[in-house]
This record gives sequence, C-alpha cells and structure tokens, in this order.
Amino acid sequence: MKLLLVEDDQEAAAYLTRALEEAGHAVEHADEGREGLLAAAGNPYDVIVLDRMLPEMDGLAILRTLRAARVRTPVLLLTALDGIDDRVEGLEAGADDYLVKPFAFVELQARINALARRPPPQEVVTVLQVGDLRMDLLKRTVTRASMRIDLQPREFQLLEFLMRHAGRVVTRTMLLEGIWNFNFEPQTNIVETHMSRLRAKIDRGHPRELIHTVRGSGYMMHESA
Amino acid sequence: MLGGGSSSFRLAALYTAGFSIAVAVLGLLTMLSTRAAVTQQFDDRLQADRASVIDGYNKSGLPGLLREMGEASAGPNALLFGVQTAAGAPVQGPLAGLKTPLGVSTVRLSLQGKSETLRVLTTDLGGGYRLLDGDKAGRIEALSRKVLWGFGLAFAALLVIGIVAGLALSRAMQKRMAAISGTAEAIIDGDLARRVPVRGDDDLSRLAITLNRMLDRIGALMDSLRQVTSDVAHDLRTPLNRLRQRLERSARQAEDPAHRAEIEGALRDVDAILVTFAALLRISEVEAGARRAAFRRVDLQALVRAVAEDFAPAAEDAGHRLEFQDGPPAWIEGDSELLTQMTVNLVENALRHTPAGSTVRLSTAVEPGAAALVVVDNGPGVPEAERARLFDRFYRLERSRSTAGSGLGLAMVQAVARLHRGEARLMDGMPGLKARVVFPTATS
Repeated sequence: MKLLLVEDDQEAAAYLTRALEEAGHAVEHADEGREGLLAAAGNPYDVIVLDRMLPEMDGLAILRTLRAARVRTPVLLLTALDGIDDRVEGLEAGADDYLVKPFAFVELQARINALARRPPPQEVVTVLQVGDLRMDLLKRTVTRASMRIDLQPREFQLLEFLMRHAGRVVTRTMLLEGIWNFNFEPQTNIVETHMSRLRAKIDRGHPRELIHTVRGSGYMMHESA
Repeated sequence: MLGGGSSSFRLAALYTAGFSIAVAVLGLLTMLSTRAAVTQQFDDRLQADRASVIDGYNKSGLPGLLREMGEASAGPNALLFGVQTAAGAPVQGPLAGLKTPLGVSTVRLSLQGKSETLRVLTTDLGGGYRLLDGDKAGRIEALSRKVLWGFGLAFAALLVIGIVAGLALSRAMQKRMAAISGTAEAIIDGDLARRVPVRGDDDLSRLAITLNRMLDRIGALMDSLRQVTSDVAHDLRTPLNRLRQRLERSARQAEDPAHRAEIEGALRDVDAILVTFAALLRISEVEAGARRAAFRRVDLQALVRAVAEDFAPAAEDAGHRLEFQDGPPAWIEGDSELLTQMTVNLVENALRHTPAGSTVRLSTAVEPGAAALVVVDNGPGVPEAERARLFDRFYRLERSRSTAGSGLGLAMVQAVARLHRGEARLMDGMPGLKARVVFPTATS
C-alpha cells in the first residue's frame, strides 16, 4: 500500500515510517504542511496519515484544501487534541478517521487497513459472506452452513462490522467507536463479553473458526486455512 | 404584579410618598396661616367701619348714631349693625338681640330664614348703650376650604404623576436590567462571547461598560486557560507519545520474552497515565460548558436502556446482576455521548464497588418538569459523610484504594450533570448506594 505520512515530529515520523515499512507499506514522508499538501494533491496514495498540528499550515487547513480540490484519498487524522469538538471538527473537515496521540502502532495499522480497502460508498452491499457464514442485510438474517443463527441486535452489528472488515484486523477501540459510539474507554470489557457470546453462536460446533483473536491487536474474521 | 420586586419602583414610590407628605404639611400650614391673616383682616374691618357710627353718637347721641348706622348699613358689602342698652335690651338693628361679651366673638344667628355664622365686635359706647357690628364669617371658611382644596388637588396630581413615573421608570430599568441578566444567563450557559448592550451615557451604561470589561477579562482568562490546557495536552502528549513509541519499538525488538513482558508492563503504565490525563481533560472540557451548543433532544430512558443492555453480559460474567426497570420515555435536552458516558461511569462504579452476587438496578423516572436517572446497588453502601466527597476528583474510599479505577468517574458524572443544569446526588440505597441524577425536561 502506498502511504503519505505528514508529520512534523522527526522522531515519531521516523519510527512510524520504519514500522509501516516493516508492515509492508511504501511510505512517503512530508515534514511540513505545504510539502504534504503538494504531495497529497499530486500523487495517488491509498491512505494519507495527517498530523493535525503542524507548523505553518495546520492539518485541518490541508484537509479542507484537499477536499475542496476533490482529492478523495482516505485521510486518517492524527492529533494530540481529543476534545469532543476537536473530533467533530476533524470529521467535518473531511477526515475519514481520527486517532488520538499517543496510540498503539497496531491501532494505526488496523485503521489504515480499514480505510484503504473501504468499498466505494455508492456500492450497496446487501449480502456479506465469509466462508460458509452468510449475512443478509435486508432480511437481517445470519446463516452458517445453511443453519439459521439467532443474534441479538448488538451481536448482529458486531458480526456485520467484522464481516465488512473480513481479512483485516479490527481493534477494540474501532469496535467501541463503530458499534457503541463510545469515544471514551470504558473500564469494563464490554467488547470481549459481547465477542465471546457472538463466537459461541457463530463458531461453536463448526470445525473451522471464523472469528480469530489477534494477540495484542484485536480481532479478525477470515476463513482459516 | 406591576413593578413588584423592582428596586427602582420601590425607590420611586418612596420618593413620591415623601414628597406627598411634604405637600400635605405645606398645605395645612398655608391653610392655617391664611386663615389667621384673613381673620385679622376681618377684625380690622370691624374695628374701622364702626368709627363713623361712634362719631355720630359722640356728636349727637342716639339719633346721630342711628343715622350713621343707617348710612353704614347701605351698600352691597356693608356690615350688619345692632344697638342695645347696657342691660342687653335691643334698641335697633339686626344684631340688636345678640347677647355677646365686649370684644370680638363668633355667634350663630338666623338671618332671613338662613342660619349664618357671624363674627361680631361688641363696643360699650358709655351712656347706657352698646354697639354691635359684624359680618358673615362664611367667607373665612370658604377661603380656607379653597386653599385646602387647591392643595388637595396638587396632592392627588402629585400621587398620580409619581406612580405613573415610578412605573415607567421601573419598566425602563427592568428592561435594561433584563438585558444585563439575560447576558449573564447566556454567559453562564457557555456563550462567553455575549456582552451587555450599552445605550447612551448614564450610570447604567457605565455599569454595563464595566461589566463588559470584566467579561472581556474573564474571556481572556478562559482563553488562556484553554490555551494552557491545549498546550499541556500537546506538550505532555508529545513526550509521552515518544515514550510510548520507544517502549513499543523496544517491545517489538526484544528477543527475551521476560524482557518483552517487562516492557509491555511499562506500556500499560503509560497507557494508564494517558487514560487519567484524558479523563481530566475531558472533565475540564465539560466544565467549560462549551458543549451546550451541541445539545439535542435525547430520550434518557432509551439511552439508559442501551447502556444496561450493553453492560449486562459483562456484569453477568463478573458475577453481578444488572437490571433495567422499564419506564416511559424521558426527553431532556442534552449531549447523548456525554450522557452515555455518565451512565456508564455510574454503572461501572456500582459494579466495581460491590461484591460478586450484588444486583445493580438502573431506572429512569419522569417527574413534573424533570427526568431522573437512578442507579442503585445492594452492596455495602457509603457512609453519609463521605458521599458528597465522592464527586471530588481523585477522592476514593479507604476500602477502595486497591480497586481499579481512576477516581475520576464520579467527578465526570457531576460535571455532565451540571452541564445539563441537572443535579447528581448520592443517597442511602438501603442497603447499598443510590445515585440519582435529575435533569430538567426538554421544553419543546
């Protein structure tokens, strides 16, 4: 994947560049706003990782300029500000996702992957399928190996999120934000408890597990070999 | 009530009352002195007008007297006369039958069928005769009444003008006061940009200008506070970010599993610092009140039900029971994200500080003009003296020091309740702890 990282903190940029390259991405780095804007406007990237606080030209201004110029590359905004208004402001300026510093590298990686392969918004999906698990989004039904599985509304949402991100890591924070709309960290492991109940319904009695725990990162749905 | 509770109206009313009393006293004094002066004038005339009659008597005795008396009695404004013997027997004239002592006296007499008050001067002529001359005293009374009447009218006019002016003044004052208090309310509600309108150049305008300068100063302080918070967020997060990245990088590179576990432990510590830091910043943000601009209509009942449903499995896994008591929709004006966090904090607080097997019950109630959220547990409860202090940042009960948690959960609950103009209270749940947050209901 081809990434653009716009970050003024040299040490952070060096670390992120190296770690992302180790993860198999091609990374270009811009350390100030104008350079980042020129690079973002002139080259096709899969994802732009943009620091919000930059000297001279700040991240939001770059983002607005890009969106005004109809550059639709997914943008992940990195920020030290996690006020509620700051998040809303970032998303309204055209960011696709928002990550508060400091963050775990696996969190950044998972979100970059989630953004990069996002299907175009105009494409309406009505059926999701992973292996022999099938979700009908119109009828709100789930079957595995043609057997009907009854899910609670939250379990259905959780499964839909996992299936839409099949083959990619989904972190606990992504689930809290995407399903519960929690932009804070609850002290209770509600993701784990809901996930274990979902797993019991999806995977129990089947030879192949579809929901996998990725140690230290989160969960991934895939048809294991 | 018109003008009720208005200090300007009270002031105007007091002023009017004082002025009216002064006018009344002035009127009474004027009446009395006018009356005295008129009486003196009257008596002087009684003295002067008998002179020609006495002259007649002195020159030619009783016939001369009677002649002069007849002349003096003619004419429209003439005095009344009477002659009687020293023993009081009437000789001639309308006043001849009066029994008066010497000197001036006031008597009543029937004249042409009308009872009149007369002021009469009785003079001893010597030689066995007495002369009486007098006039109707009604004129003195009429004059006094006129003076009183005039002052009465002035008094009434003064009262009416005073009351009307007082009302108008208090209206005008109230309008300007309302502008000032409206601005203050808006500022309390988080609109720090509002200023008191300044009109003209009087004492109130000068007060408004002073208030506006104070507000500018507060605004500048708030801005610098926000700037400091933002700077602290940035300045502290940057090194923490680096620290976290270094630890993360070391953990990835560590070959020895024990070494890696050690670094991962350090990473968890850094994350715990960051969580506390984020919670503090969030409480400050909520307390600053800026979030009210984003308020929407929220059904507290549905919101609490969702939290109860989301936390029930986790509570069950920890050996607790989390129950939700259904109720009618409870609409309030608020920020659903913050209200959710508040509810989550209350639920987590109850789950964390009660032993396994306890039950936590969530419910909402609709009261006139208010909606309440109630979280009650049947755990050990909290002594009354410590309940209110639990809302303080970092305050923890002695027995909970070893329990996980930042000590900021209930501080956040308090901040969110206040942001919504609500009130959070901790009570005896008999036997456990009962948390109750009351919000004003949505107006529209």
